[in-house]
Amino acid sequence: MSDALHVNIKVNDSTVALDVPLTETLLTSLRDRLQLTGAKRGCNQGVCGACTVMLDGVAVRACLSLTANCEGQSVLTIEGAGTDRAIAALQDAFIEEGALQCGFCTPGQLIAARALLEQNTDPSVEDVQKGMSGNLCRCTGYNKIIDAVRKAAQRLQS
Amino acid sequence: MNTGLFRPASVAEALALLARLPEARIIAGGASLVAMINARLLDPAALVSLARIEELKQITETSGGGFRIGAMARHRDLAAETRFSGPLAVVQMAAAQIANATVRNMGTIGGAVAHADPGLDYPPALVAADASIEIAAALGRRRMPAGEFFVDWYTTALQPGEMVSAVHLPAARPGVGLYHKFARVSGDYATASVALTMVSDGIAIVTRVAIGGCGPTPLMMAEANRLLSGNPAADDLRRAGDLLQAAADPVDDVRGSAEYRRMLIPRMLARAFDEARVRAGASR
Repeated sequence: MSDALHVNIKVNDSTVALDVPLTETLLTSLRDRLQLTGAKRGCNQGVCGACTVMLDGVAVRACLSLTANCEGQSVLTIEGAGTDRAIAALQDAFIEEGALQCGFCTPGQLIAARALLEQNTDPSVEDVQKGMSGNLCRCTGYNKIIDAVRKAAQRLQS
Repeated sequence: MNTGLFRPASVAEALALLARLPEARIIAGGASLVAMINARLLDPAALVSLARIEELKQITETSGGGFRIGAMARHRDLAAETRFSGPLAVVQMAAAQIANATVRNMGTIGGAVAHADPGLDYPPALVAADASIEIAAALGRRRMPAGEFFVDWYTTALQPGEMVSAVHLPAARPGVGLYHKFARVSGDYATASVALTMVSDGIAIVTRVAIGGCGPTPLMMAEANRLLSGNPAADDLRRAGDLLQAAADPVDDVRGSAEYRRMLIPRMLARAFDEARVRAGASR
């Protein structure tokens, strides 16, 4: 085990100083050190999308990011997105469309959808399927998620 | 033992660190390396991160009309690249099919080629595009054809202390390039893939085909390329498919049996070849 590495990162607009092992992932730091448990540990291999967070404005897998390699970067998790206009619209649409059931994947879905809507303000069904293909959901069958993302997109445009 | 994470600002600094810390591993985007750490396949004592090296992030057009793609260029950047015309489109098409949008924000071309997983999308695309890999070493930089760089399962021609600094694409000539991937679900590693370029050299069409996911390294055969060049008849296409099928060395895994992969090769080749021919005709 290597000695702890000192890292300064910004999490949801607060500066945080951490001492972490070399191989600690951002997901572990968020969940186990900062008690920010919105991002979920599903596969821990970058496949399922449940750990998706924004890092310097770009959607990333927290499970594939090493905390020590995030020095000076800004993380946005679902806990910090309460005032974000796009996240709020997506949350409303997810509830209205029934786009979640157990909710495990939902924080990752919301962050991935926000990233998609930044690139494409009016996505087609296929655009949502492609843009969010990296976020698995075992409850909804996806159609309701697609409907919710498109509904939120329409509201954000008007 | 030296432990820690080092974040050099230049390639020279990174190479000095690698020389000083033989146990260190390079971390590029982390998409493969951190997944392997999480799976407990790796427990590196030290890491050299390339994240701060600006030179490695650039995609620049070279004087001959080709491109130098820095090793830290993200899959996202290459998937959105609109300057790769003609046969070079094979690289853009491969990038766009890697994993999913979030992973494409992280993963890099240098990380992918150095990882050399046979299921990855870039290796066959780079072999078909006649790309070369730029290797940085203490004594200087050299370039090696992609077809020679991939040596075996997860094994490249890189020597200890060396790193991938860029990928070079040759000057775009008139023609087409395409990448077809067969996967269980969107974003999975390829069960099998076909990368194909057709280039007009002014006299005839020269075709290059590389098969991915069906052996330790991308499979390219001079005889198959020859059969598919010029104006091949249906029988030439069939013979090229048979040759590649017989030479492939696939394994049984969760993505398909070796036998299944062998069956895919001639079918995928025919589909890619037909599409390329249609597109070559349309662009003439």
